[in-house]
Amino acid sequence: MAHQPIAPYRRERRGRLSGKEIASGVKVAKANQLRSFFALALGAGISLAGTAAQAGGTLVVGMTAGDLPITTGNPDQGFEGYRFVGYNLYDSLVLWDLSKTAAGKATDIKPGLATEWHVDEGNDKRWIFKLRDGVKWHDGCGFTADDVVWNYSHSANDKAPEFDAAQYAQAHFYLGNVAGVSKIDEHTVAFDTTVTDSLLPYELSYWLLISPCRAKEVKYNWTEYAQRPSGTGPYRFDSAVPHQRMELLPNKNYWDQARVPKQDRLVLVPMPEASTRTAALLSGQVNWIEAPSPDAIDRLKSAGMQIVTNAYPHNWTYQLNFANGPFTDRRVRQAANYALNRTDMKDMLNGLMLEGNSTLPPSTPYYGHPKIYEYDPGKAKQLLQEVKCLPCKVTLAISTSGSGQMQSLPMNELVKSQMDAAGFDVKLEPMDWNALLAVTREGVDKHSDYNAINVSRQTQDPFNALIRHVWTPQWAPKGANWGHHSNPEMDKLISGIFNEFDTQKRLKLLTQLNESMNDEAVMIFVAHDLNPRAMSPKVHGFVQAQSWFQDLTPVSVEP
Amino acid sequence: MTDYSSVIPAKAGIRGDEVPAAALDPRFRGNGGVIKTRSEPFLEEQAAPATKVRGYWESVFHRLRRDPVTLVFAVIVLLIVLAAICAPLIAPFDPYKESIVGRLKPLGWRGHPLGTDELGRDMLSRLIYGGRVSLLMGIVPVLIASLIGGMLGIAGGFIGGRTNTAVMRTMDVFYAFPSVLLAVAIAGAMGGGMANGMLALSLVFIPPMCRVAETATTQIRALDFIEAARASGARTTTIIRYHVLGNVLGPVFIYASSLVSVSILLASGLSFLGLGVRPPVPDWGLMLSTLRQSIYVVPFVCALPGLAIFITSICCNLVSDGLRAAMDVRM
Amino acid sequence: MIRYILRRIVYAIPIAFGVSVVCFSLVYIAPGDPLQTVMPPDATAETIAIVKHAYGFDRPLPMQFLIWLGRVVTGDFGVSIATRRPVFLEVSEALANTALLAMFAVPLAFFTGYVMGAVAGSFAGRWIDRVVTGAAVVGVSLPNYWLGIVLVIVFAVEYMVLPATGMGPSGSTAFNLAQWSNVQFLVLPVITLAMIPIGILARTTRAAVAEVRNQDFVQTLRAKGLSEWAVTRHVLKNAMPQVMAVMGLQFGYLLGGSILVETVFTWPGSGFLLSKAIINRDVPVLQGTILVLSLVFVTTNLVVDLLQSLIDPRIRRA
Repeated sequence: MAHQPIAPYRRERRGRLSGKEIASGVKVAKANQLRSFFALALGAGISLAGTAAQAGGTLVVGMTAGDLPITTGNPDQGFEGYRFVGYNLYDSLVLWDLSKTAAGKATDIKPGLATEWHVDEGNDKRWIFKLRDGVKWHDGCGFTADDVVWNYSHSANDKAPEFDAAQYAQAHFYLGNVAGVSKIDEHTVAFDTTVTDSLLPYELSYWLLISPCRAKEVKYNWTEYAQRPSGTGPYRFDSAVPHQRMELLPNKNYWDQARVPKQDRLVLVPMPEASTRTAALLSGQVNWIEAPSPDAIDRLKSAGMQIVTNAYPHNWTYQLNFANGPFTDRRVRQAANYALNRTDMKDMLNGLMLEGNSTLPPSTPYYGHPKIYEYDPGKAKQLLQEVKCLPCKVTLAISTSGSGQMQSLPMNELVKSQMDAAGFDVKLEPMDWNALLAVTREGVDKHSDYNAINVSRQTQDPFNALIRHVWTPQWAPKGANWGHHSNPEMDKLISGIFNEFDTQKRLKLLTQLNESMNDEAVMIFVAHDLNPRAMSPKVHGFVQAQSWFQDLTPVSVEP
Repeated sequence: MTDYSSVIPAKAGIRGDEVPAAALDPRFRGNGGVIKTRSEPFLEEQAAPATKVRGYWESVFHRLRRDPVTLVFAVIVLLIVLAAICAPLIAPFDPYKESIVGRLKPLGWRGHPLGTDELGRDMLSRLIYGGRVSLLMGIVPVLIASLIGGMLGIAGGFIGGRTNTAVMRTMDVFYAFPSVLLAVAIAGAMGGGMANGMLALSLVFIPPMCRVAETATTQIRALDFIEAARASGARTTTIIRYHVLGNVLGPVFIYASSLVSVSILLASGLSFLGLGVRPPVPDWGLMLSTLRQSIYVVPFVCALPGLAIFITSICCNLVSDGLRAAMDVRM
Repeated sequence: MIRYILRRIVYAIPIAFGVSVVCFSLVYIAPGDPLQTVMPPDATAETIAIVKHAYGFDRPLPMQFLIWLGRVVTGDFGVSIATRRPVFLEVSEALANTALLAMFAVPLAFFTGYVMGAVAGSFAGRWIDRVVTGAAVVGVSLPNYWLGIVLVIVFAVEYMVLPATGMGPSGSTAFNLAQWSNVQFLVLPVITLAMIPIGILARTTRAAVAEVRNQDFVQTLRAKGLSEWAVTRHVLKNAMPQVMAVMGLQFGYLLGGSILVETVFTWPGSGFLLSKAIINRDVPVLQGTILVLSLVFVTTNLVVDLLQSLIDPRIRRA
């Protein structure tokens, strides 16, 4: 890859001037002068880059991740890792439908490496998955039922030689209900679960399968495997410069021929700093950036960049302390929700958010008709008065940055000032992202001095969207119910959900759960991110799905 | 940030009991500035302290009076300090008062002479309040380091022998880290925050400060008049108080003054990395970092915190240079 | 001389040990979990316990220290938790990238600083001296990460003549100094990085030149009727060793402490590696990086010392 001129850096930039530059003739002249100086001085390097023109072009993505995601299966770096590396190199048995037709509504699951699945008729703790025929790993081996069984022990059985602690760490959360996997025939496997779990297909959609062939070839040396990963995904691994860039190539033999990548090469560059990403896009170094800062949008537009947004299952919220303190009283929780002026927050973010009125964005199928807490500081104050908590002192644990936290500090400060105006006395306790994650995991028992934590959550599937936040068995540190919320009626509803295998009936139960979570005001609902991304006008064919994951395969880049 | 550290006479592996010429020489930073150097005649007046006509401090003030550049910058530093102290009296707005409609406004917008920040808070007020934090971060670590490092150095230098070796060897270990690295590592390990930032910077400054004090003390101790004092029956405390302190304080003070600007820059760098002061406390480094996202909206407003750091740091540097010349300290 | 060199090297050993203790303990005063980076945000405590055991972080600290030290002595710094790559590889690659910057920044700073200082020193007290020394103070007072941000906005975003970030299309593995498409990535970080050393070297040189000019031998030279130019040459030559020593130290500092500049330019050097390791709490990388950087720093200092004492035996130290 050494001399493959991946970033069409020079090409891209030529002739494209920002609005500002066009406005100022002098500046343009000066810029041209400088440019021709460099062009003269170093013509060789530039013309070399100029010859790179290829049919589908090279897509260079500036990611928000602090580093390249690991390539040994389930990636790190949050869902961004899944978006760009995980679902590109690998497939899961169940995939997310990110196609154009789905763009108008929230995404749902579709067949992946499994073509069909159903719960065993005589045993509701056993799921049967029919596997896709004729799928090949990037290394040429064929995909079989044995591979699925092997992958399970790779992810879960710490006695097996193929066990990998890092994969366990990433995948265990999704395999928590699985008791074992067995092969029925060459194209069928059975998943036994510890409890009745109607949502298992959703959980398995996050479990990525790697090639046992390659793993054996490198003798289970995961460091080496990371440099030569092999999956079944639409892209295959080409090369990586640690910490700097990863290059993927189209897998022309992908089992879903409709999803063979249209571009010739996909380059991923980690750029954790938002202003760095903006500068990189404006200077033509990359042609796609994730999450530009809202304040840079106007500048990007003036340079002709496309800004793409769409609702997606993301919830910027505060999980509350139900063990002690004022939020144990429903009226205080409701007061906090009444206190927020979400329109103001949207203005602050340059329109780049959806007002958060519930755990879910309204396009979710089980959104229903939840009670909406419109901005009403008077009512908030009145409720606080009733509870005799005025001013109501609360401490919120927040992070200074972090995956999915949007503009964490300004947003938290705005929440504070709005809540203070409605009768609260908010103390923000900022910490770095990892520290906040530790607080989140350890749960309210160890951190009873916090009344709420601000960790944004993905809400892509029913369990992650709703259940884990309110279900009693999910009390931290066991699960994601940080504040130890417990409500017998909701618990009953949830076990009904797990036992309901009829999709429509289950949808009804889920809707009920969402509505009652709003009635109880189990969180302070603030915002849903719109997942903004900016791309050069030369990037074509992308349709943003309502998902954390995106399909990059239809994208082509004009030379 | 690379190497503000280089003003610290760091040299791993140098014994303190000889004068490490290149290491402790003020020329390390140059006698710099626009100030007078040894080439100028005034130096002759006090080349031999024993025979000076004027008192030492008198002559220092005399020389400072004839150095308008230092005086001017000293006045500016004084004004910055005063502004920080009197922040509640002079700041036109509450530095925490937000206004979403009034966010990111340019210089001179509706009574906000320096515009507003990303939450619509008044920039002038935040810069004034920010001076409090930044100056505190500049001065407190230096004070702590002077106190602890100075005491360790004097003790080591005066007692000598094994004690001195033990003290200086321990210091040498900390010398083995480039100062920025050490500050970032400590602040990073302890998890940021203002107190931790100060602690980190203090730890960074203690070893060089200790070395300065130790060198000066060792030199003094070897001089005849200490022996004479001893012979005349003076007690150790008396000797330290009258003879050692009198001669060691000068170098320590000058060195400390030169560290203030370094400390301000380092502290702002820590805040910039997210390892220093926590938001929403106004701090110049932190403001610089958060406003970085908005640089395309109000470029000049976003440049202000950097300018504030720069002005304060350059003034401190020049004043320190002036003081060094006036006091003619050769460390 | 050889005995002296040996003595200095032997003396560095206890320091290196002390440094390793500091490195190891630094990481453990920190709150939080060293395995954060491999754990998804939703991981449960139970998952963490199993993974912690698999990575050996559940052993007592002194034990972990001894194991670590034992491996380090044999050159095995462990494996990065985040990337699974050997820490030694991580650190040496990062250090090479930083050295690339320093390789250009140090000569740039040296020549600019030396010329500035020589001019100022030769005209001490005159207006040109004031202008130059003023510029030098600016160099040491400027927050250089801020300068970096401004340079990116001007040259990358507005004029589009230079890239904004990173090491370019080939990354560090195939960085080609003969190709402008690679070299252009060096320009802004090198200038930013050189700013402070320029100030320091200019001030050092000025002081050294001014001092040498006042020494007796210069008067003698003048009395012997040498031209002013010839005298200046002598003066500059005499001031050189001291300036060289300072430059050597600057090189050491640039290798170890360019964290902010590397962060601004996303330059994959040692400082960047360190700040990433801090954020991720990647313990093996954190320990390894700090240890290697400080050992490099000690070595640089040692070499500078030894070179200096070779040139001028008077400053030989115990």
